[in-house]
Amino acid sequence: MRTLVFIPAWNEEASVLEVIADVRRAIPEADLLVVDDGSTDATAERAREAGALVASLPFNQGLGAALQTGYLYALRNGYEACAHLDADGQHPAEEVARLLAEVTADRADLVIGSRYHAGAVAGSGDYKPTFSRRIGISVFRFFLTLATRQRFTDTTSGMRAANRRVMSLFSRHYSPDFAEIESLQLAVRQGLRVEELPVRMLERAGGSSFLTPLRSAFFIFKGLVVLLVGQFRPRHVEAE
Amino acid sequence: MSLVFAAETGQVHLTSQTRIVAAVLALFFMLMILELIRRDRLQERYSVIWFIAGLGMLVGAAFPGTLEVVANLMGVRNTNVALFSIVLLLLLGLALNFSVIMSRQAAQITRLAQERAIEKAQRQAAGQPNGNGSSGEQSLQAEKQSFES
Repeated sequence: MRTLVFIPAWNEEASVLEVIADVRRAIPEADLLVVDDGSTDATAERAREAGALVASLPFNQGLGAALQTGYLYALRNGYEACAHLDADGQHPAEEVARLLAEVTADRADLVIGSRYHAGAVAGSGDYKPTFSRRIGISVFRFFLTLATRQRFTDTTSGMRAANRRVMSLFSRHYSPDFAEIESLQLAVRQGLRVEELPVRMLERAGGSSFLTPLRSAFFIFKGLVVLLVGQFRPRHVEAE
Repeated sequence: MSLVFAAETGQVHLTSQTRIVAAVLALFFMLMILELIRRDRLQERYSVIWFIAGLGMLVGAAFPGTLEVVANLMGVRNTNVALFSIVLLLLLGLALNFSVIMSRQAAQITRLAQERAIEKAQRQAAGQPNGNGSSGEQSLQAEKQSFES
């Protein structure tokens, strides 16, 4: 089965090499694409040197557009399964391999790696959310569960695996602003099988989170508006 | 308050001085739009609405009676207030229209950027020269700069 692993990266020259090496080790059969979201540092060069394919967006378009580029590439080039993980080193590649296994076994169309699922094991050096982040997480969890009538624990996870039905959907519709949450809502509304799998995530290797309390509040408000609007979008059954 | 009691009291009219000023401004406005189109700074399809606005201003200035009819319909005593309300609403609609156009163009730009990125990666996958030599990178840098400025 042809598999693509793609990594959205924006100015991640410090960690992208390590992530590429990690993916190579854990998922040697997959093709590797780095979606360079208008980086101004050497992210694209580093990735190319490491032998990964690089899709460079000419200017920064945001995470949603970068992820959509990956889905579009996978769809166009006939990959049967794809997965993506963050470029900052938070996502261990062997966990991505487990997500992919769910998709290739056709147990789900879209699989989300969840940090907060009951089955997720915490160890030393593992991911621990801050207070303001925990509030946001529970708000989104509540409203997304309400909107989709399906339990989600990790709504903003950037570690996912998907099959062609999802590629086809996401390459057409993918919110540029609120990619993670709206895409889950969209996928469930389209009748796709969305599944969460407990995974281990690490503390970020470099850089810091962009969230301050005020930003968090705005982020949550925006997310709720997006979810509300999403409930009124037309429901289609997608045929490939 | 004037809105609430509008219908009960006498009308306040436009003075002939405001009419002359409005007519001159409207003509000047339409000339400016013509000039912008002539210099390729404004596309015709986005200029229609502005011509209509200019014509509306002219009509209002030449036949203030029309404005008073509209003001009466709205139940506004002061014709100037009616004028302001109408213009404000039109501008609101226009601003919304621009947001819609902007959203569409943002989506188009994103898709264009994605297509270009994918094409580059596909060329790289096919093992062809993919423009990652020095000249290609330089042109990409130049593009980035021109977008930022």
